[in-house]
Amino acid sequence: MKMKLRNFIILIIAVTFVSGGLFAQKKLTGLEIMKKVYNRPSPKEMEAKLTMTLISSSGSKRVRTIKQFIKDFGKVEKKIMFFLAPADVRNTSFMNWSYDDPNKDDDQWIYLPALKKVKRISSDSKGDYFMGSDFTYDDLGDRNPEEDNHKILRMEKVNGLDCYVIESTPKDEDYMYSKTITWVVKDRWYGVKKDFYDEDGEYLKTLTLKKAENIKGYWIIVTVEMFNKQKNHKTIMHLSDIKIDTGIPSRMFTERMMKRGL
Amino acid sequence: MKKRFFTLIISLILIIWFGFADGLQITGYVRNYDGVLLNDDMDFSIVQNTLDLNFSMQTSKVGFKVNPYIYQYSDKTTVFDVREAYLDLFFNSFDLRIGKQQIIWGKADGVFITDIISPKDLTEFLLRDFEEIRMGVTAVKFDYYIGDNTFELVWVPVFSATKFPEQGSIWAVTPQFPIQPQFDFSRKDIKPSIKNSEIFAKYSVFSSAIDFEIMGGYTWDADPVIHTLKQIDPFTHQLLSLTAIPEHHRLTVAGGSFSTTLGPVVIRGEGAYYWGKYFQSEDPMLKEGVVEKDYLNYLLGADFTIKGIKFSTQFIQQYILDYDNFIVNNEVNNLMTFLARKDLLSGDTLHLELFSYFGLTDEDGLIRPKISYDITDGVNILLGANIFFGDKGMFGRFNKNDMVYVKIKYSF
Repeated sequence: MKMKLRNFIILIIAVTFVSGGLFAQKKLTGLEIMKKVYNRPSPKEMEAKLTMTLISSSGSKRVRTIKQFIKDFGKVEKKIMFFLAPADVRNTSFMNWSYDDPNKDDDQWIYLPALKKVKRISSDSKGDYFMGSDFTYDDLGDRNPEEDNHKILRMEKVNGLDCYVIESTPKDEDYMYSKTITWVVKDRWYGVKKDFYDEDGEYLKTLTLKKAENIKGYWIIVTVEMFNKQKNHKTIMHLSDIKIDTGIPSRMFTERMMKRGL
Repeated sequence: MKKRFFTLIISLILIIWFGFADGLQITGYVRNYDGVLLNDDMDFSIVQNTLDLNFSMQTSKVGFKVNPYIYQYSDKTTVFDVREAYLDLFFNSFDLRIGKQQIIWGKADGVFITDIISPKDLTEFLLRDFEEIRMGVTAVKFDYYIGDNTFELVWVPVFSATKFPEQGSIWAVTPQFPIQPQFDFSRKDIKPSIKNSEIFAKYSVFSSAIDFEIMGGYTWDADPVIHTLKQIDPFTHQLLSLTAIPEHHRLTVAGGSFSTTLGPVVIRGEGAYYWGKYFQSEDPMLKEGVVEKDYLNYLLGADFTIKGIKFSTQFIQQYILDYDNFIVNNEVNNLMTFLARKDLLSGDTLHLELFSYFGLTDEDGLIRPKISYDITDGVNILLGANIFFGDKGMFGRFNKNDMVYVKIKYSF
């Protein structure tokens, strides 16, 4: 399933948004609102340095650093990540190809420098936590709104912005979350907060948008925080050195580059 | 003159140092590794301190890596060696790597089928980490890229053999002979020459549907076979003396490997056909007690996840073609491997792992449970055990070498 550029850890907001006015008078359904979030325009290419700070209940911190490149090839979007720190994972690389075709699973490979080998891995483990953070692989992807039933709970102000509060329940009963609640900014169609509930219906964690920057006409959310209440553990994701539409060569997304590294 | 030369050398070092200082990376690890045999005396099986360093630099056109390492032991000579030391040259559609390097092929985990370029260091059997088992070979590696596919050509001018444990080591395997032999090592070494060099080629396809490799090699068998010369009393027919002569033989290999996904499962396969592999034989008609046969080695494996536990299993079969009953080895050897791994605690700092080999033919095996904890970023402590079972076979013969061990490692 395709992961849009605006996702993974970022939420990209198109500045030139004209549809808000057009739809302002119409009463929207929950599905329509979530589709607006899903279909927001996004850049074709992006590279950035990603820093994840994992903070335990005692306050101790662990830092993971990654350099990532993403490019949309039309029917397939390719992403490659080079792990820079900590030292024991340095030179590991990970590549993901995701497809427009909703029936086609992602292709994923990992290069482990100790084994000097690129291994194909299954994209089925979307419930796994990414590098020990509070984000699962699924959290970092772009979930198609058609996979959930959506209900508008209420309108609420967050940081002075009018937000739709949308409850989404999965159609697949085996999905890792029993429901999510998202605060979507009215007329801008991006989320500022999202609560996750586990398979037993218990509150699990909250994703909070912390900082956004306007780069080349797109609002890029550069800092987000995921707080896991059940584990009392927190992850802050921060993007730096962001470059958009710089002409990343196709050969960046190959086995050759996975092995060579940066 | 001498002073000038000295100044030149110092200047060159400074130029190189400052020139590369920005891009030069120094990484590596320090590790303490202590193992105890599970016998009555709880003997130490290993007390080892390791320093492993990587000096590397890479630009868009050129790169290099030098990987020296030191193994310091409590009871034997310190080992200082260089695992890799190579230069990379990057071009638009091809790359060249020249120097001592580890070259790893195939899709198998923990077994060696098409992965035959880098010889193995078996001084601690198969217990070392895989990056430490594979030795670097001096080679020229040429990679030509066609889209997502790669043609790779490797030339190894100087042959390197498998490194076996020293006599007296708990991992040494003594060949069985009817009487104590005299060893003759005169045929063991391969003279470095163009004629004696090795060459390998591989074409690999990297795609959404499947990844596969097709390979071929004209090489030397890294494991020597032991020829035997017998002196027999013509009257009593008794064996008077025996000379054992280890010798490496030429080997031609062709094979391939693949990996693909089938729903949530990754399916892997690998196979190779070896022309002209030598085996020890008890056929009295053979002059030197060895016979040449073709040999097939292949694997099928699957990787999958259930409830957050990652599983991987492999079935491996080794088959000697045109077998006769005088051959010492089994005609067919079946082996299975099994891996389960789970990460626990906040930040995935606790890791549980169970890796096992099961020899189905000799009913032997090795079970390797591990538990490791990341004390902080880069600092890891690992507790593990190696449990051998069976009476014969490649694992059963080490039945008395069960051990527990601890490794503390700091990566930087």
